Amino acid sequence: MTAYSWDEVLEVVRKNIYEVVPESDGRAIDPDDLLADLGANSVDRAEILTLSMEALSIMVPRSQMAGSASVRELVDGLRDAAARP
Amino acid sequence: MRQPGPRPVVTGVGLVTALGLGKQTNLRAFLVGEHRFGVLTRPGRQHGEQYLGAEIPSLAADLPVAGRRHMGVAGEAAVAATEEAWAEAGLADQDPRRIGLVVGGSNLQQREMLCVRDRHADRPQYLSPTYAMRYLDSDICGLCSSHFSIQGGAWTVGGASASGQLAIIEATRMVQSGEVDACIALGALADLSHWELRALKSIGAMGSERFAELPGEACRPFDEARDGFIFGEACAAVVVESAQSARARGVYRWAEVAGWAVTTDGHRGPEPSAEGEAWTIGSALARAGVTAAQVEYVNPHGSGSVLGDATEVDALRRSGLTHAWLNATKSIVGHGLSAAGAVELAITLLQMREGMLHPTRNLERPIDGSLNWVYQRAVTAEVSHALCLSIGFGGINTAVCVRRCDD
Repeated sequence: MTAYSWDEVLEVVRKNIYEVVPESDGRAIDPDDLLADLGANSVDRAEILTLSMEALSIMVPRSQMAGSASVRELVDGLRDAAARP
Repeated sequence: MRQPGPRPVVTGVGLVTALGLGKQTNLRAFLVGEHRFGVLTRPGRQHGEQYLGAEIPSLAADLPVAGRRHMGVAGEAAVAATEEAWAEAGLADQDPRRIGLVVGGSNLQQREMLCVRDRHADRPQYLSPTYAMRYLDSDICGLCSSHFSIQGGAWTVGGASASGQLAIIEATRMVQSGEVDACIALGALADLSHWELRALKSIGAMGSERFAELPGEACRPFDEARDGFIFGEACAAVVVESAQSARARGVYRWAEVAGWAVTTDGHRGPEPSAEGEAWTIGSALARAGVTAAQVEYVNPHGSGSVLGDATEVDALRRSGLTHAWLNATKSIVGHGLSAAGAVELAITLLQMREGMLHPTRNLERPIDGSLNWVYQRAVTAEVSHALCLSIGFGGINTAVCVRRCDD
């Protein structure tokens, strides 16, 4: 179990959004942005999730993250999973 | 015995080989017999051994940014080759629902998928979810139909080393049936991993032991010293369209796909059959309404296989084609496997238009010196009728006869 700060997890997610959706690189990513609006389709979102889990060395069941439409929801979900024992 | 229905002609050609991107770049290099054979360096092609072959140059700079992620070598080559053929044929103005795509080849991305798996071998839970779409050959169809507007249908056809021709034959049938106005046939790049390379060598198909230290001399189709094919990455796209549509649009018609044939020898494995090949040749010519005597040029399979090349020479003799000019495209760019048939048709069309036939590298002592070989210097030749041959494991034989469009 690891305690990441909210900003640390946001940075991980942001970096992975830029990586998976290169067209988004160069624009600011706001926590309330919807992933789909940033150009991430369903496959992209699955990839962003996997890459972020790997970077944080955590595993979260997909069903738990299924509702994460915004960057904020994704960051919250990952951070909560990392904080659990 | 001319076929009923729309007359199929080629209106676009795209080509990527180790010699470079684009048909003009390739034609220039082909005519002077350049090559890029060396030790294969792409990751996933080593594993304790070195293998000889030719690899395409990086295409990243020529491709659009969006969707470049997860394209792999096969995907990049597919988009690049299709782009060239598409642009030439002016397909962007056409109704996407009347444009189809047939991709020739199976197990296209063995190396790429191996690398993806290896990356997470010890942490499989983080395997990229995109593996689920990328392991399918049809991902190449999805990739191409998304980059270009192709909505008339896209799928793959597998026929081992005859896949490239199979794609062209299927595209021709699609146009003839009237289901689409234009159909792109793509001979996809075979992205082999060290596993395939090793097995192809140990089954006796791929070289070279004799020339292991001399990559430039290892690929020698039809030469007495040959000891197997040499792998060469390549990809070609050919647009087949009805002659009527092509004329109406005022686009250049490279040639008519006058005849073709697909046969099987009735057995498994890599053994070739002279009888089967001769029958295939005869069928294709009959469908085209062309006699053997009218064929000025044959582009053979000519892989460099010890048994395969000898068998093919036998088949050519049986078919009455000993007078025709003969060269081996594989001697310059290697064996493209799934792509080969399409690459070789593309090169055939380029040669017909140029009025020149490329050299056959390393042809010093041919199996049969009485055939009309193009040796190590290009020759000028007027070719109106050409025959292309491809032969695949499993006794799959294909032949395509093309006729230059003179009007």
